Amino acid sequence: MISQFFVLSQRGDNIVFRDYRGEVPKGSAEIFFRKVKFWKEDGEGDAPPVFNVDGVNYFHVKVAGLLFVATTRVNVSPSLVLELLQRIARVIKDYLGILNEDSLRKNFVLVYELLDEVIDFGYVQTTSTEVLKSYVFNEPIVVDAARLPTLGPASIFMQGTKRMPGTAVTKSVVANEPGGRKREEIFVDIIEKISVTFSSSGYILTSEIDGTIQMKSYLTGNPEIRLALNEELSIGRGGRSIYDYNSSTGSGTVILDDCNFHESVHLDSFDIDRTLTLVPPDGEFPVMNYRMTQEFKPPFRINALIEEAGALRAEVILKVRAEFPSSITANTIQVQMPLPPYTTRVSFELEPGAVGNTTDFKEANKRLEWGLKKIVGGSEHTLRAKLTFSQELHGNITREAGPVSMTFTIPMYNASRLQVKYLQISKKSKAYNPYRWVRYVTQSNSYVARL
Amino acid sequence: MSGHDSKYFSTTKKGEIPELKEELNSQYKDKRKDAVKKVIAAMTVGKDVSSLFTDVVNCMQTENLELKKLVYLYLINYAKSQPDLAILAVNTFVKDSQDPNPLIRALAVRTMGCIRVDKITEYLCDPLQRCLKDDDPYVRKTASICVAKLYDINAELVEDRGFLESLKDLISDNNPMVVANAVAALSEIQENSSRPIFEVTSHTLSKLLTALNECTEWGQVFILDALSKYKAADAREAESIVERVTPRLQHANCAVVLSAVKMILQQMELITSTDVVRNLCKKMAPPLVTLLSAEPEIQYVALRNINLIVQRRPTILAHEIKVFFCKYNDPIYVKMEKLEIMIKLASDRNIDQVLLEFKEYATEVDVDFVRKAVRAIGRCAIKLERAAERCISVLLELIKIKVNYVVQEAIIVIKDIFRRYPNTYESIIATLCESLDTLDEPEAKASMIWIIGEYAERIDNADELLESFLESFPEEPAQVQLQLLTATVKLFLKKPTEGPQQMIQVVLNNATVETDNPDLRDRAYIYWRLLSTDPEAAKDVVLAEKPVISDDSNQLDPSLLDELLANIATLSSVYHKPPDSFVTRVKTTPQRSEEEDYPDGSEAGYSESSAHAPDSGASPPTSSSSVPYASPKHPAATQVSPPPSAPAPDLLGDLIGLDNAIVPVDQPVEPAGPPLPVLLPASTGQGLQISAHLARKDGQIFYSMLFENNSQIPLDGFMIQFNKNSFGLAPAGPLQVPQLQPGTSARTLLPMVLFQNMAPGPPNSLLQVAVKNNQQPVWYFSDKISLLVLFSEDGKMERASFLEAWKSLPDSNEVSKEFPGITVNSLEGILDRLAASKVFFIAKRKHANQEVLYLSAQVPRGITFLIELTMVAGAPGVKCAIKTPSPEMAPLFFEAIETLLREKDDSEVHRVQTRIHELL
Repeated sequence: MISQFFVLSQRGDNIVFRDYRGEVPKGSAEIFFRKVKFWKEDGEGDAPPVFNVDGVNYFHVKVAGLLFVATTRVNVSPSLVLELLQRIARVIKDYLGILNEDSLRKNFVLVYELLDEVIDFGYVQTTSTEVLKSYVFNEPIVVDAARLPTLGPASIFMQGTKRMPGTAVTKSVVANEPGGRKREEIFVDIIEKISVTFSSSGYILTSEIDGTIQMKSYLTGNPEIRLALNEELSIGRGGRSIYDYNSSTGSGTVILDDCNFHESVHLDSFDIDRTLTLVPPDGEFPVMNYRMTQEFKPPFRINALIEEAGALRAEVILKVRAEFPSSITANTIQVQMPLPPYTTRVSFELEPGAVGNTTDFKEANKRLEWGLKKIVGGSEHTLRAKLTFSQELHGNITREAGPVSMTFTIPMYNASRLQVKYLQISKKSKAYNPYRWVRYVTQSNSYVARL
Repeated sequence: MSGHDSKYFSTTKKGEIPELKEELNSQYKDKRKDAVKKVIAAMTVGKDVSSLFTDVVNCMQTENLELKKLVYLYLINYAKSQPDLAILAVNTFVKDSQDPNPLIRALAVRTMGCIRVDKITEYLCDPLQRCLKDDDPYVRKTASICVAKLYDINAELVEDRGFLESLKDLISDNNPMVVANAVAALSEIQENSSRPIFEVTSHTLSKLLTALNECTEWGQVFILDALSKYKAADAREAESIVERVTPRLQHANCAVVLSAVKMILQQMELITSTDVVRNLCKKMAPPLVTLLSAEPEIQYVALRNINLIVQRRPTILAHEIKVFFCKYNDPIYVKMEKLEIMIKLASDRNIDQVLLEFKEYATEVDVDFVRKAVRAIGRCAIKLERAAERCISVLLELIKIKVNYVVQEAIIVIKDIFRRYPNTYESIIATLCESLDTLDEPEAKASMIWIIGEYAERIDNADELLESFLESFPEEPAQVQLQLLTATVKLFLKKPTEGPQQMIQVVLNNATVETDNPDLRDRAYIYWRLLSTDPEAAKDVVLAEKPVISDDSNQLDPSLLDELLANIATLSSVYHKPPDSFVTRVKTTPQRSEEEDYPDGSEAGYSESSAHAPDSGASPPTSSSSVPYASPKHPAATQVSPPPSAPAPDLLGDLIGLDNAIVPVDQPVEPAGPPLPVLLPASTGQGLQISAHLARKDGQIFYSMLFENNSQIPLDGFMIQFNKNSFGLAPAGPLQVPQLQPGTSARTLLPMVLFQNMAPGPPNSLLQVAVKNNQQPVWYFSDKISLLVLFSEDGKMERASFLEAWKSLPDSNEVSKEFPGITVNSLEGILDRLAASKVFFIAKRKHANQEVLYLSAQVPRGITFLIELTMVAGAPGVKCAIKTPSPEMAPLFFEAIETLLREKDDSEVHRVQTRIHELL
């Protein structure tokens, strides 16, 4: 059980503070912030999420640039507390539509009311937006989303989808639309984060997909929903080791290493026809999390080359090739590469006709950065950079530069081939036909090519 | 609603408080509500709005739940500072607790429980009683938690009013939310009580396992954690429990998964079927790995737990090493933990892959991570003999990059590799020497110097190399000085030529006359004496073969590991520290094992920092400040007799402390021996730490006590009192402890007498002690009475009377016990030890290959124990049968005899060994 809960801004200001047990001294928020800020003398390096100062245990997670913190004096389950902090953030976001300092401050009364129902005497009561609706009476004051830069997963769907209401994911679950009528709709997002490590010769050393089927329902009356996944879907590698990639059974089968489900999901027919049945609670929640190490085709191939060109010079060539269909476009691509510490100057050379490219040499941490607004499937892009050094090289230059890392978002694409075949809403009447949005997105997690 | 809440934060020109007061008393509802919001806003930013107490409380009587909640929030905050005014709210509370709306009923008890004012608490009991039996589950679940609140304020009230029974009834409630809260409340109450209140029986177990399936995710965690304390009767029950818990591994909530893992691991200990165990391991692996797909914060917790799990059951994740490879965007705290697990899972099968990773990490940006990666390569070399060569070649490759801190770290690990595989890889020394000039860190320097000294005969210019360090000898840190001293002696013994001879003069002079460091001086004098009396003996000592090391860094002591595994999915498993070392609640502290104070000594200055602490700086205070081998503050150097005149035979004796004679016998205070167990840790005693132990000396019982004042204030006026106990132990005189200044400590031997305040009932070993002083509250702690201090000197019996006594006692007075884990190697040894503790030998006989010993002992009031010990020398298993007029004392007796049989008298030997290792 926890003693206190608080939310701090990036500068350490107290935005929300609730003491549940009165056993931790008042100054805990300042003690915490100082500790986190100066975890290492140089101010670099993150503090671990759990630590102890003078008998008080501090837990924290970072959500949307805010620090969500809990304290306790006893030997609690740390995963419970950390999970709880994430969930509190999610509940608040469900209610407020947008989670940031501004929206929290504007809605502090509501937030306190929520906190009192979520936690009693340090014990979690519920974190279900659905359940909370019956006990919480304050109405959210919705912050105008248009004026704010959208945060997190909300923004990733903005491109490449037709007729998608721009504010859809940033609207409050409980607040009514202007005009009083709620729009009947449901969002099912298949979000995959992929990690790939390429060896210097282009081999795939490790690859992994962490996926989530996320749901957000704005349907009144909580109808039952059926989600059908690929029929050829198997779970568990059957004890086979991670090393034998080639033994995947058949080409069409999607093999998940492991998966877990939200508690509202009924798995009665899952083993037979791979359908999930659930009555979605209000709010955003993950229907299913899954993990896959089955071989898949990485969306990008990276070729990186660094070569000495004289005593104080070297040349870098970066090639990125998009290996997905041309109907799909990746966006917000960033390629980064640490350069040798004695690099003083870098001059860049893009391909003729390249548009939407940015190049930069970050002097402070000696890093090359290459940004591309979008990459169309099937295309290849190259960057050449000429480096100048302040001292002569000793030894192997490839050991002092790299690895190349890449971040990107690819809407309407998923590497695992896991699919939602259909989304069925049990009908109340013939006229009832709510909007259904099934969206896919792939994001990079750790996408690295070694030199 | 109108506008934005943030407007409540804006200040007005007029005095804020009077304006608010006016608005709170407005006749318009909306205005009052707005005003309360403004008050709460002021409260949250730390402004004092307590003067508005009456006005806010006046708004309490409303049907508007939103407003009511706000007022309650205010009350919780300020009731403590305005206890008299808080009474004004009581009537409304009591009325609300009977409101037709269940939300209001629940809100009333919930809030009352949060107001820690006696007058309110008095009125809480009746509403609480009603609400515990309310029709509405929301009210019942709120009331359940409220019992825990009340227990925290007034435990007696809870017990007197029968709330505990009501709570226990709620375990069978039909609403799982109520069950979960009742379990949470009972668990907390049990945690803070010394009496058994909530013990999971097989009946509650099955009820709770059923509730588990219907509970919310959080309730599942409460229940699983409560059930983890349950000890299954046998393997079959364990299997059936596990079967019902296993589906929880599929839960999306990480806390549920980890708590289920804990429960399964615990029951697995009882399961004997290897098939079942293997199957369970297989089932646990994927969910554990999936935890690593969660947020980095959760990953960190999972990794710290996995670290413990793989130490006990390495097979679970043996094939999953790839998932522990670091991602470039992992936070540093995750990377560090992954590295640790990679080392643990590294095997001959995967080492090539692992080395490839480590090599990559060693060129990253974060210095700490790079260092750890380099060290990891060395640790793998030490762990995997067949891979050592490959590890070394990676290290050499890294040294060639010439990144300063990489080189230094590599040299430190290579020194350990040399220790592990002596005379195998010396060919690389030349490469190491190339980096000699760049070393600037003490540990790296010391390592390099050790290598030069150890292999002086193979390094042609070893004397030149060492000489280059000698110039700066006085400025070097102690660690480097010690190594320089030892290395120079080694060099001299291996190459006793003119150059080294001069060097040794310089070094010994520097390390004796011109230093303030007692460690250095002691060591230098030992060498000096050795060299001046018997150089051959010096060779035997200094150049002796060293024990081979293994990679035990970050390996936990088995008993600590057991304790931590029992605490999987708690903070304890993240800190890797037992709960009582950081939980500062008033509870009796179990005795800590003393072994911790004597960690395995590797070489001086090299002991791979077992103080590796990802939580360093935040690490909770450890219970005792252990400075294992540091010499006591040495008297002035002049007291040491000049080396040449030292008597030859007693070379090491007096310096190392082999000779027991130097322990003063007559001195009553300051008993030698292992440190006393800490009974009141400083964290509990507001800085006062008390260690104590019962001891027997010359027929008299003493309470040997150590008081340490770690607080900021001087403490005086110490008094002591003992609760009634089975032997009526009580102080024979007043406690004599002088005033304790902050940072000081005092030892005392308190003489004790028996049979003063006897506790009725069957004998037990509990000794409860209260200590007070003039500055602090009374401290309570408990100790154990061992019969060992009660065995009297006149317990020896003659053979004839022993036989007679044995025959005269009825068979019902005979009790026996097996000690399967104890091995007796030497009969003499054990008899000496027993006699020293006043258990006297009478006769022995041989029965087949068994030795049968007859002994006697006596405790005051003439209670005799006739003892028969049966054993096979050198084989495990000792059977002890006793006959005594007081068979109810048997459990205490067996405890004492077990201590005596088990006691390995090697702590002394051990210390001497470590001391000698230091010298090498």
